[in-house]
Amino acid sequence: MTATATRRNARPNGWYGMVILVATEASLFGTLMASYVYLRFQTAVWPPHGVAAPSATAPTVLALVLVASALPMAYAAHAADRGRRRAALAGIACALVIQAVYLGFQIHLYADDLSRLSPSRDAYASIYFTLLAVHHIHVGVGILLDLWLLARLSRRLTPYRRTAVSAVAFYWYFVAIVGLFVTATITSPTW
Amino acid sequence: MAVGTAARERVERLDRIWQERPGFTGWLTTTDHKRIGILYLVTSLAFFAAGGVEALVMRTQLAQADERVVGPGTYDQLMTMHGVTMIFFFVIPLSIGFFGNYLVPLMIGARDMAFPRMNALSYWLYLGSGILLYSGLALGHAPDAGWFNYVPLASRKFSPGTGVDFYALGLILNSVSSTAAAANFLVTIGRLRAPGMSLNRMPLFCFAILATSFSLVFALPALTTDLVFLELSRKFGLHFFDVGRGGNPLLWQDLFWIFGHPEVYIIVLPAFGIATSIIPTFTRRRMAAFPLVALAELLVAFIGFGVWVHHMFATGLPEIAMIFFAAASLIIVIPSGIQIFAWCMTMVTGKPEYRTPLLFIVGFILFFVFGGLSGIMLAAIPFDQQVTDTYFVVAHFHYVIWGAAVFPLLGGLFYWFPKVTGRMYDERLGQTTFWLVFIGTNVTFFPMHISGMLGMPRRVWTYPGHLGWGPENFISTLGAFFLTGGLVLMAVNLVVSRFRGPLAGPNPFGGATLEWATSSPPPSYNFAVIPKVSSPYATWDEDDRETDPQRLERGDFVLEGGHLTPGTTPVDGHMDEILAMPEESPWPITLAFVATLGTAFILANHLIMAAAMAALAAAVLVAWHSGEPEAA
Repeated sequence: MTATATRRNARPNGWYGMVILVATEASLFGTLMASYVYLRFQTAVWPPHGVAAPSATAPTVLALVLVASALPMAYAAHAADRGRRRAALAGIACALVIQAVYLGFQIHLYADDLSRLSPSRDAYASIYFTLLAVHHIHVGVGILLDLWLLARLSRRLTPYRRTAVSAVAFYWYFVAIVGLFVTATITSPTW
Repeated sequence: MAVGTAARERVERLDRIWQERPGFTGWLTTTDHKRIGILYLVTSLAFFAAGGVEALVMRTQLAQADERVVGPGTYDQLMTMHGVTMIFFFVIPLSIGFFGNYLVPLMIGARDMAFPRMNALSYWLYLGSGILLYSGLALGHAPDAGWFNYVPLASRKFSPGTGVDFYALGLILNSVSSTAAAANFLVTIGRLRAPGMSLNRMPLFCFAILATSFSLVFALPALTTDLVFLELSRKFGLHFFDVGRGGNPLLWQDLFWIFGHPEVYIIVLPAFGIATSIIPTFTRRRMAAFPLVALAELLVAFIGFGVWVHHMFATGLPEIAMIFFAAASLIIVIPSGIQIFAWCMTMVTGKPEYRTPLLFIVGFILFFVFGGLSGIMLAAIPFDQQVTDTYFVVAHFHYVIWGAAVFPLLGGLFYWFPKVTGRMYDERLGQTTFWLVFIGTNVTFFPMHISGMLGMPRRVWTYPGHLGWGPENFISTLGAFFLTGGLVLMAVNLVVSRFRGPLAGPNPFGGATLEWATSSPPPSYNFAVIPKVSSPYATWDEDDRETDPQRLERGDFVLEGGHLTPGTTPVDGHMDEILAMPEESPWPITLAFVATLGTAFILANHLIMAAAMAALAAAVLVAWHSGEPEAA
């Protein structure tokens, strides 16, 4: 028996678990965006008369910022894999700052939109606010995961926590990429 | 065989390491997949009884024209609760939760699921969602818009009470539970197979659970999205389904059936897996066309995502879309047919011994062919438009879901009863049960084809006498009580045998898969020595099994240094690492409690309390991980 398998070939279970969570979340976003398209093609004018088309600039820039935050996360996962605890901490902290700023801006935009348009006005407003809210919630959950990682890594880096870093990093890659799709969907009336 | 002292000491050490807290609290904190499986078993059978009573009340109401056993409002609630209970709280929890949980780790030679605490969480969330739904019934606010809950009927305007909210929120919670369970199975099957069990050596039952889990992961989000849309519409006045505000009620139907048809295969695939476990045992030969059956199981799950519109042929969709989905609905017959031929060939070329479990499988094949044939009739668009929303459809899906999906579950309950309890059931009573249930099923559901053809619409609470549907309905009702008699006999048989049955020994039927290579019931660590595997019928590989005691004596793959199980590579099943598994934990049940409470607060419009519960859930998760292991 090889009780001390020195180098494993497969990824750790926690990482696989995250991949499956991401698969199911991707389906969730898939059905939400499909619903957007479905409702859009029910309606001759989209957005309906009396509703201003969403601005494209701010959401696009923000989506790219979120993608940029995946880089320090990738760095953190890479560093954690090599046992460099401080570098991993720095990567996560850097990503966290970008993500928090991103979410702050997004909440501001969301509140601003809400002041001008009620989600219960029509199908357009309903799907617009729902799709965005679901993505913002995913960013919020990711930020909580970052905070938890920072707290755990502040003391010690164990193989378990290394897996946690790579799993959370994978989550963030997904949230960033799906953010591009969400942004493309909600800004589609301006194309 | 003589057991050496070294072997005995190793077994004692394993007993100590894997021992869980005794007594009632042990059940609350358990992470043992077998005990969680038994919790699923007991709970899902309780829901089965509830759903069955609902069905009997409905059948009593419909026994004759113009009956007044229950009123229309109560009837709608019974009908909705019957559908929701049987699908979400009986069949899936029994097939995935009990059979999957109990058997998959045993069949692949592992000591637990990949995520034991998440496994416990799945169970407690399932229980929470069930309690939530049934508290609606207890409060007199059961959902009453049918199990598929079509809008606009389910909208706030036409269903103003809280019944539909119980449905929507209960099912969201239930979806979380099922998703977690599916993820657990995928990683368990991918990573925890005993060294040497490459994919082509994995039992077909595990292929079925694999296919089911894939379907769940990709299908449930459509239901969740749909339910979220519905709740946002009902609680906050958003518009997704409202034509006047740019929505479309067909969006509900599309999303529901994008989930709902894969769901049919989610229900029936584990049953296929059970059939492919029982048939080889009682025919004394390996399954015919093993690779084709494995691929067919995966293919059914895959094509199942492309047939949903056949539930909507009467909604005025474009013809081209309907033709595509009609074609897909016909194509899915092919992988199903492959399996039917493989089962039949195995029986024809083997030496079948018709004991209770195999009888149920034969019944299943007959019902599956019969329900499949009426399914092909329904896939023909003109015929479908003629009989849609009639009892013909009710007859069809009860043949498929009751006859084809539940029969193997009943057979499986008999088949694995000795494994789970260590005792034998009574064979003669078991065979009597089969005949009662088999005849009862036909007497109950066959006349519904005719009443459907005669034009009787489904979901009606009563009907006037002059329409001439009386005889068919009366026969159906008689059949339902006959059927219930069979099920009561089965319950008596199993409960009495649980305490009085003769001891079964490790392998009373000469089964082929690894669960039969360990004692009945299995020890908490499943296998004292991780079994060597060289084929999908590992217990029949006598050379391998003869080496197990020697390997135990030597300490080869006993893994007695803690809560350990081997982790292997996903495809080839090469030894990769030793995994340290978590031990029992109070946090899964705590988290499920908080989540259920939070959902109840949403239901009661206490949104601030619901937010507080979300924060509490985050705190519980932190506490959960405070005792994390070192290793990954």
